[in-house]
Amino acid sequence: MLEIKNLNASIGGSEILRGLSLCVRAGEVHAIMGPNGSGKSTLAQVVAGNDAYVVNSGSLLFDGQDLLALEPEERARRGIFLGFQYPVEIPGVNNAYLLKAAFNARRKHAGLSEIDAFEFLKLAKEKMAMLDMDPKFLNRGVNEGFSGGEKKRNEILQMAILEPRLAVLDETDSGLDIDALRAVANGVNALRGPDRAIILVTHYQRLLDYIEPDFVHVLSDGRIVRSGDKSLAPELEEKGYDWLREAANA
Amino acid sequence: MKPLLSIDAVRTAVQQLPDNGLAAARLAALTRLDADGLPTATHEDWKYTDLTRIVDVSNRWLAAGATTMPVADAAVAAITDQFAASWLVIRNGMVDARSIAKFAQSDVRIDLLSASDKALECDAPLSGLNVALLQDGLAIRIPANIEHAGTVGLLFIDHAAADVGVSQARIVIELEGGSAADFIEYHSSTGDAAHYANTVIELRLADGARCNYVRVQDRQAGHDQTGRLTATLGADSRLQHAAFDLGGNLVRNDLDIKLVGRGSATSFSGLYLAGREQHVDNHTRVDHLVGPTHSEQEYRGIAADAARCVWNGKAVVHRGADGTNARQANHNLLLSAAAEIDAKPELEIYADDVKASHGTTIGELDQGALFYLRTRGLDEAAARCLLMRAFAEKIVVRSPLPAIRQTISEKVAERVAALIVGDAK
Repeated sequence: MLEIKNLNASIGGSEILRGLSLCVRAGEVHAIMGPNGSGKSTLAQVVAGNDAYVVNSGSLLFDGQDLLALEPEERARRGIFLGFQYPVEIPGVNNAYLLKAAFNARRKHAGLSEIDAFEFLKLAKEKMAMLDMDPKFLNRGVNEGFSGGEKKRNEILQMAILEPRLAVLDETDSGLDIDALRAVANGVNALRGPDRAIILVTHYQRLLDYIEPDFVHVLSDGRIVRSGDKSLAPELEEKGYDWLREAANA
Repeated sequence: MKPLLSIDAVRTAVQQLPDNGLAAARLAALTRLDADGLPTATHEDWKYTDLTRIVDVSNRWLAAGATTMPVADAAVAAITDQFAASWLVIRNGMVDARSIAKFAQSDVRIDLLSASDKALECDAPLSGLNVALLQDGLAIRIPANIEHAGTVGLLFIDHAAADVGVSQARIVIELEGGSAADFIEYHSSTGDAAHYANTVIELRLADGARCNYVRVQDRQAGHDQTGRLTATLGADSRLQHAAFDLGGNLVRNDLDIKLVGRGSATSFSGLYLAGREQHVDNHTRVDHLVGPTHSEQEYRGIAADAARCVWNGKAVVHRGADGTNARQANHNLLLSAAAEIDAKPELEIYADDVKASHGTTIGELDQGALFYLRTRGLDEAAARCLLMRAFAEKIVVRSPLPAIRQTISEKVAERVAALIVGDAK
């Protein structure tokens, strides 16, 4: 589904990704771990199409199609979703309005008719119940005045409604208490399926206690230095990242 | 140098006006205009706005015989039908007598200015021109303790085709003690020839009066306007005001509020959305003459293309006006390199016990928010439009007269969409 080859990307002239390669197939859940500054968030932003990042070389294919040729909104309509590490507050833009606009943009691209307000509200409330979210969040400004945990739940709500084919969740677990973490994990696990793939970018193993990945990759200095199955995560937790960095440099 | 308005031509035009109760006032105003001239950039309050264009349109109009064109009934109905209000209509500076007749059974008392004893002040630079060339105006009175005088619409509508047009309009509004009334002041125009409209409105709130007031300016792209609203607030009176500048070419608005009675309070706000080569200048001034009094203002604006917007907000707290609270805020979005915003807060405080604050920002659209919206499938234009609307809507929601907010909101959305299209050119 997603095929990244030898990706080099930089921001503001400094190179962050240096030859990153990753292959994600439908039905798989991949965890990307690594120390701060290793390029995890850059990978997420580049997949979503943030033009603040410059791709110097390498390729990024989604279902065989060159993602680098697509605008962020075109990627979204094809089923790529980025859950932001720091969801943006947009005062004055109604949360329900954005959710419905996003949902209908996706449907329109798929050649489906737009959903009406009544049907949409029903869908949104259903998903909110699953995430243990108060329906009042629908009528607030997008992330406006939300706590850190509320913002992350709101990201997962958007994902649950949009049902993306590929979800990239950037440190969705950071700053969450245990209840919020469970709610987020419920949302992610509900999305799992043979046609979808999920990339979890995380600093800690904690999230992986709730969402079991098929693969774990360790990112260091802009490339994947080690890949393994879910057992790699507790090993990292125990030994830290330094041993891998040393191993990679050796 | 004074912009050279042809005074002789103005004098000729004054002589041609109907000989009504305003004749003496016109001649006095003409003398004043001759002595003062029109303001130039050397005048501190006019340094951002060059009146050369307005003088030019006026001179051309005077040279062509100072005639006015009829305004179509359909153009009037197109505006009045949008709002639930009783409308007073001024077409090309001429009071529509039929619109007055409709108020015969209401609590709102209306007279022609020519038949009233109102003194017409011309202490502001364009007020002399206004009185000198005034055909007639309106005196509106809400009698004491009328609690629900309803919503009065004031429509200033002009038409200029083939030849240039100029119009003057003047209204004096008095809310007597304890009365309450709502007003919609709407400026509109049609036709492709140049036009200049000059409006002066005096609003007097007696003790305990309450007034909600919304101004909308949506003139033709080539039409110029100067407008002045002076408000005097008696003890414990309340004025809530909101202004929306959507159209026009060269636009200058002066809002001048005097808090003269203890416990009087005003909240006013404005939104200006400018593209093309529009020039939209909002000067506000609030004088706290006694304390405690309260004023709060928030203006917001968007400048696209090669537009220039000015906000100059002055608050003066006079000696002895203790217990005063004065707040002002002005936020702007600058969408193109050729656009310009001039934002100038001015606080002058001569009293001791005062809470005053101001905040001014000029910025671009938030790139982080734009990217966020695009990752949710909104294309760039839709995302920009949504952020601009959200920015503008803050003024819509704080405007008085909730019943007309939806209509205003739609007009704002339409104007924002037009700015996006212009921006992409």
